[in-house]
Amino acid sequence: MGNSDIPYESDFCLNGDIRELERLAGEVARFCEQHPGLADTEFQLNLVLEELFVNAVRHGGCDGMTNAACVRMRYDNGAVHVAFSDRGAPFDLTKAPEADIHAPLAGRRRGGLGIHLVRQIMRGVTYRREDGWNVLNMEHAVEQRQETL
Amino acid sequence: MIQLTEESKSGWCVVGVRGRADAESADALEAALRSAVEGHPKVAADLAGLDYISSAGLRALIQAARAAQSKGVELAFCSPTASVKKVFDMSGLQQILKVQGDMPC
Repeated sequence: MGNSDIPYESDFCLNGDIRELERLAGEVARFCEQHPGLADTEFQLNLVLEELFVNAVRHGGCDGMTNAACVRMRYDNGAVHVAFSDRGAPFDLTKAPEADIHAPLAGRRRGGLGIHLVRQIMRGVTYRREDGWNVLNMEHAVEQRQETL
Repeated sequence: MIQLTEESKSGWCVVGVRGRADAESADALEAALRSAVEGHPKVAADLAGLDYISSAGLRALIQAARAAQSKGVELAFCSPTASVKKVFDMSGLQQILKVQGDMPC
């Protein structure tokens, strides 16, 4: 897997099963509990990681795979650094089309909203394909004066 | 985990939504809202207990709102937490759903 070059404080893998979302939420909660000031960041990290994981399982062919996706996180210099990898079909999130969030109710199409949220919450998203893995590195700046989300 | 309840109150069908609206629970959320929309002219989704929502949960709300619109049913999404409201904002849902701070009944 391609994101082993940086030491991370949280490091876990998920099987290709949507029911793993509960375990994902637990891992994110544990990570955020380790750092004062990250309590309000838990929602955002959960959201981003769910979107990426569900996309890999439902659209990337990871459904049923053992250790289909791996997550690493660390907190330093006021930002949470996240590496997300999955063994799904090649998919470069950074090149995915933008969702139309201004479309009226009747014009809202399925798909794209999750990626839009990832882009809203994370910065510096990079993608590479390595040894059969999609590897995303990104970070989330933690505001000194926390907003609620 | 999501908890869904339904009760009648002052002419409204109130659907209580508590917990997480994620990819695992979104179908149940959509079904509960659609069921309420099928049988009542005015539906209020009480989101005060909704701790978390992802795009899957948002899609459930969008689908329910579409169903309500097609049937001429009034569907209000009420009392979202600041975190959930911010996801609505990021997704442009504030403009297409009827979101309000207080319950109508």
